[in-house]
Amino acid sequence: MKRRVVIIGGGSGGAILANNLPLEDFEVTVVDRSPYHYYWPWLLYVAFRGSRRPMKREIRSLLKPGVNFIQSGAQSVDLNNRKVVLENGKTLDYDYLVVATGSRPTYGLIGGHEKAVEKYGDYHSTIENAERVWKTVNSLKQGTFAIVVGGDPYRCPPSPLEGVFLAEEFFRSRGLRDRVKVVFAVPYPRPYPAEPMNEVVEPLLKERGVEYITFFTLDRIEEDRKVAVSMEGEELKYDALVVVPPHVGTDMKISPEDVLTTDRFIQADKFTNNIKGFDDAFVIGDASAVPVAKTGVTAHLQAGVVARRLQGEDARNNGRTNCPFDLGYGLGTFVISDYNNPVVKLPPSRFSHLAKIAFAAAYWDMVRYPELWNPIFEAYFEATEPAKLSKIYV
Amino acid sequence: MAENRIRVDARGIACPGPITELVKAYRNAKNGDIIEVMATDPGFKPDVEAWIKRTGNQLLEFREEGGTYVAVIKVTAKK
Repeated sequence: MKRRVVIIGGGSGGAILANNLPLEDFEVTVVDRSPYHYYWPWLLYVAFRGSRRPMKREIRSLLKPGVNFIQSGAQSVDLNNRKVVLENGKTLDYDYLVVATGSRPTYGLIGGHEKAVEKYGDYHSTIENAERVWKTVNSLKQGTFAIVVGGDPYRCPPSPLEGVFLAEEFFRSRGLRDRVKVVFAVPYPRPYPAEPMNEVVEPLLKERGVEYITFFTLDRIEEDRKVAVSMEGEELKYDALVVVPPHVGTDMKISPEDVLTTDRFIQADKFTNNIKGFDDAFVIGDASAVPVAKTGVTAHLQAGVVARRLQGEDARNNGRTNCPFDLGYGLGTFVISDYNNPVVKLPPSRFSHLAKIAFAAAYWDMVRYPELWNPIFEAYFEATEPAKLSKIYV
Repeated sequence: MAENRIRVDARGIACPGPITELVKAYRNAKNGDIIEVMATDPGFKPDVEAWIKRTGNQLLEFREEGGTYVAVIKVTAKK
């Protein structure tokens, strides 16, 4: 008899996992509140390049024929009794559950945050908000443009600095660079949180005249005075402000509740993605509290591991990251690390930038046809193992 | 009133995980609260020292216990 797999979430993790499971052995059901799967990294180019390239597709069109799709949010999950109650009133029983609900921005932690997003936009939430950033950068002719990291975690560790680099390039290309100051503020000790990558990007910030403020823990935004205020009372004056919103985990009710952290991420084994205490339930991608970057690549790799585990293999995550990082002016790098190796000091190159753009172009095909892309990715990940690269880029 | 002690277990998390976990706890803390962070990443010591110096909070203790670094911080600098 086929084993029933319920996957909650049809984003990168959920869709890739569903398409990797052999349907002769599994009855696979994907559940998602939205009919669409979004390629979130493209928000960056909507915000800072005014891209109109479509960045969403119907989930149904990305799943293999034979995979069931139910468009409904999941209201609650009962891990002890293997039940998922959907918002449409249906109850699903499962043999295996995979939670892939992602993470979502929250605006309640920082005073005045919501108002600031309404006015200036952001590029971690919706297409509309990213379009608002594009309007913001286009309307600023002089003054200070600030990007502030509002708190941890957030999707895509390079994204705050990618925004800074693309904004700086944008203002320079418009001939406004001597009139618009670009400022970046973060709550951690250096512009990029991991030291080796910081050694790659900090010189670029200096070279391009971007000001940065470290240890700035954003407390509130006072739009009437146009200042962002830190918890210690330090003030950052701005004319336009984009805040990278802190993210929280799932909004589903889960029992037992102690699998959740205080910010609603699901605790799991970092090697197998098994939800704490359950060998028939997994969490992959951003929804998990596993200490890895919240990026599509992580979700993709974890989906592969869980697919193999469901088929009886003893597959394990190695914590690999591979985050493309746009440095502006046609340059890029990648943030590459794993559980055993710190981030590689990969220098800026045109090739890395092209690889990021090529990946975006291939994305939908990659989700839909894992049988064609898996061998390519396996070869790529093997060739770019951090242990190997760190010997070259020291 | 008993002091509020917030424990943050950042063991096994690589840099910059421990300092970002500290900042997360700090966001929810009030002046007078004690935050105790446990970490195994050796980069934690210089990061926490720089954080204390810059934010003006108080480092009550920093110790090493069998490969685990423990920072005990009193929140004093919030405005």
